[in-house]
Amino acid sequence: MDFSERKLALSHEILMQVEKPSQYTGGELNSVMKKADQVKVRFAMCFPDIYEIGMSHLGMQILYGLMNTYEDVWCERVFSPWKDLDAIMRRDHIPLFALESQDPVKGFDFLGMTLQYEMCYANILQVLDLAGIAFHAEDREEDDPIVIGGGPCVYNTEPIAEFFDMFYIGEGEVMYRRLFDLYEECKEKGISRHDFLRRAAQIEGIYVPSLYDVEYKEDGTLKSMLPKYDDIPVKVRKVLVQDMDGSFYPEKPVVPFIRAAQDRAVLEVQRGCIRGCRFCQAGQIYKPVRERSVDTLMKHAEAILQNTGYEEISLSSLSTSDHSGLKQLLEELIGECNRRKINISLPSLRIDAFSLDVMNKVQDVKKNSLTFAPEAGSQRMRNVINKGLTQDDILNGATLAFKGGWNKVKLYFMLGLPFEQEEDVRAIAELCNEIAKVYYETVPKDQRNGRVQITASSSFFVPKPFTAFQWAPMDTMEHFLDKASLCKRSVREQLNQKSITYHYHEAGTTIIEGIFARGDRRVAAAIEWAYRDGALFDAWTEQFSYERWIKAFEECGVDYENYIFRERGEDELFPWDYVDCGVRKEWLLNEWRRARAEVTTSNCRDKCSGCGCASYQCGICVKKR
Amino acid sequence: MSITVRFKFARKGPVRYLGHLDMLRYFQKAVMRSGIPAKYTEGFHPHQIMSFAYPLGVAMETEGDYMDLELTEEIPAEELSRALNDVMNEGIWICGAARLPEKALNAMASVAAADYEIHVDGTDTEKLRGILMTAVVNMMQEKILLLGKPQEEATSSADHRKKGGKKEKKAKDIRPGILSLTVDDQEPVIKMRLLSGSALNVRPADVFSLLAERVTEDTITASRIVRKEIYGERNGEYVPLLCLGADA
Ligand code: B12
Ligand code: SF4
Ligand code: SF4
Repeated sequence: MDFSERKLALSHEILMQVEKPSQYTGGELNSVMKKADQVKVRFAMCFPDIYEIGMSHLGMQILYGLMNTYEDVWCERVFSPWKDLDAIMRRDHIPLFALESQDPVKGFDFLGMTLQYEMCYANILQVLDLAGIAFHAEDREEDDPIVIGGGPCVYNTEPIAEFFDMFYIGEGEVMYRRLFDLYEECKEKGISRHDFLRRAAQIEGIYVPSLYDVEYKEDGTLKSMLPKYDDIPVKVRKVLVQDMDGSFYPEKPVVPFIRAAQDRAVLEVQRGCIRGCRFCQAGQIYKPVRERSVDTLMKHAEAILQNTGYEEISLSSLSTSDHSGLKQLLEELIGECNRRKINISLPSLRIDAFSLDVMNKVQDVKKNSLTFAPEAGSQRMRNVINKGLTQDDILNGATLAFKGGWNKVKLYFMLGLPFEQEEDVRAIAELCNEIAKVYYETVPKDQRNGRVQITASSSFFVPKPFTAFQWAPMDTMEHFLDKASLCKRSVREQLNQKSITYHYHEAGTTIIEGIFARGDRRVAAAIEWAYRDGALFDAWTEQFSYERWIKAFEECGVDYENYIFRERGEDELFPWDYVDCGVRKEWLLNEWRRARAEVTTSNCRDKCSGCGCASYQCGICVKKR
Repeated sequence: MSITVRFKFARKGPVRYLGHLDMLRYFQKAVMRSGIPAKYTEGFHPHQIMSFAYPLGVAMETEGDYMDLELTEEIPAEELSRALNDVMNEGIWICGAARLPEKALNAMASVAAADYEIHVDGTDTEKLRGILMTAVVNMMQEKILLLGKPQEEATSSADHRKKGGKKEKKAKDIRPGILSLTVDDQEPVIKMRLLSGSALNVRPADVFSLLAERVTEDTITASRIVRKEIYGERNGEYVPLLCLGADA
């Protein structure tokens, strides 16, 4: 097919007025063109942020590739137009369009949105608004697209539940075919939107919010959330890929013309994580860990490099160091990449002799920094959060690295963790100082390449659903800022303070993220209010307005403090309890108690702690230890 | 001995909205996919030794742009073109290739002039052509064609001092850089050959805006500019850059 005469939704004049016009014109390598009249299902897959962010999302590439292998389905991509184009589209009444066909999204059968991060919630409304689709599922017309959400934020859908016809809880590879078959059947038989949704709700993993009644208690907590009909499940169970080697992987990913945040080939080595850090949601919701074999990975790597021409490849997963075949994989991959003149970008591996050796082979030691994520400064706090990284691990790793020529170290911490005391905050500064000390002790003066550079940064902790800390109160803005300045002062008091730089993240975003993370259906009104007041691209610090969001909650009578600042009762019903993600609530509660007692829990590789995911009968749960 | 091959390429359609750096990245990946034995730099981040004759502005189409690439082995030019064309995507293609002689200037240093076509928007072809012809004839009779306003110069000389030596743009006469300017005999298309050297470099959009200023009865706009060919100079004659490779 000759695409060079492909029509565009935007005129030349408009394209010349906006930043990076080619983000709106499609036609990239490996993008898929089909004939609209020859497919039965048109799916618009949207990442509600700008193109450069969305095109870096592996999940979208997976689902795009997979759906387009179905002959009867055409999946196209949609991103949030940046503010310049947003304004023009509103002014000129240009409807939101999909990149491939450049057709308006409103004419599609499905509009899928991947929800990677809470701060994209205002952008969900932008997408609906520009597409000309009603915000509330109940107001949609018979032939409007079915709006479906997926991704990590579906583990608490409630603040955005009204805006979606359905959510897909779990990994998209598993149930799409069944959903499309049902859709086609309903379309042929002329079955209504409502009845289709009701039938879809019976597919495992599909949650249709409009089919549940929600009641609240006087104290504002959830009283009950029950299906309206007997054939609708009380609990929606996450679906997941059981055999990673047999599952679809995009060997022909779309290659953006413009530089995306991740401008490289991505190899997902495994899903899930063996380490149950108690603050981490991803660690729980992607459980159990399932590896791809080295053979499969090498096969994918070769095909992707061949099909894209990328000059760099990176390994991706929550904790790549834990892949049991990492040594072999890296050996083979380094060989292959040297042959092809391709760079390997290593994820932050756990620092030990092996990883340092590998890094030494693939990057310039002098230019690169080492990364540690101790998350907390004191060993006591690391026990509370179950971070199995000791001071010795860090100092030994640093010693090895300094001997190997590195002199830049990055450290990531969190402030505002449950049970945190002043001395835990100070311990962050002390740990940095210790590392600097190690440098000056290990590297003789004449071999030093200047001062050691230690960069510590801290983010503020947000309690998330399906973690041990889902019961925990969040710190207030004042507490956050006090802790950050205490940390800053402590750094200044250290002997090696000149070698240490300390940054902390914005606190306002954290508070709002906390409200979305554990809010319920009543939050939706405030999201709508804030959007109408101009909220958009809140993940971008310079676009975010804390005051606007607080005003939105106040205007809409949302008692936002109730979602974040109180410790939740052990028997409280949570808005997300309808999801069965495999990990049992009792297990999490036990983890919460163990955190309070500063007791650690083993990781899945050393010993199963019985979280409940064994019911999926796959991955590490069924592996012999 | 280095082996450098010059490729002539074209682009049209939606890909014309790519900027120059994105084109470069596009070609690097295409070379990678094609399996052409490109030469790489040493070090941790090896990259291809690739250079372009003339950056392509956003939205400009081309039928004659050039890219030089160093190889590690000699391979027939047609084979190279085929290998690249096999892995291209919509709207970009290779129209020819030639091995460069050992001491040839690189593509960018060779550029002396370029041909352009500007497609003027509108449906009334005959009327538009008439308007354009008049404007072209009038314009070519003028001895001096100043680009940039003299008043701006006055205010900018103050900034000039502030910015410490950074030269501000002065109004310049581009008339000597317009080697030819005509209107197509069928379509409302302006054709021109412009100097593109280091001494004087004239951009087609500038010529168009000067021309548009001279059209009084209507406002004219153009949404397609096509670069038709880029020339180098040999013995006082303009020769397409590809020929500089082929038989010198
Ligand atoms: C690549 C990546 C990025 C890239 C690209 C953007 C992106 N979100 O992918 C970049 C570098 C830009 C990025 C930026 C950020 N990221 Co990020 N990122 C990741 C990472 C490493 C991989 C994502 C991925 O592709 N996963 C693999 C795929 C297969 O999983 P998946 O996305 O869940 O998709 C599957 C299912 O969920 C489902 N699904 C997904 N979408 C949909 C949609 C529909 C309709 C359906 C039906 C199904 C479905 O099917 C998919 C296939 O199985 C994850 C961590 C991880 N390993 O998962 C973090 C992660 C998503 N990022 C995270 C964060 C916090 C951020 C930032 C805020 C960081 C920052 N401070 O700036 C920004 C936010 C930008 C944004 N708007 O999202 C968090 C999100 C936590 C949360 N939800 O609260 C994660 C989980 C990391 C973590 N451990 O905390 N990130
Ligand atoms: S190592 Fe800890 S923080 Fe990282 S993904 Fe696993 S559980 Fe989460
Ligand atoms: S059941 Fe055991 S092995 Fe499986 S994920 Fe849970 S803790 Fe890990």
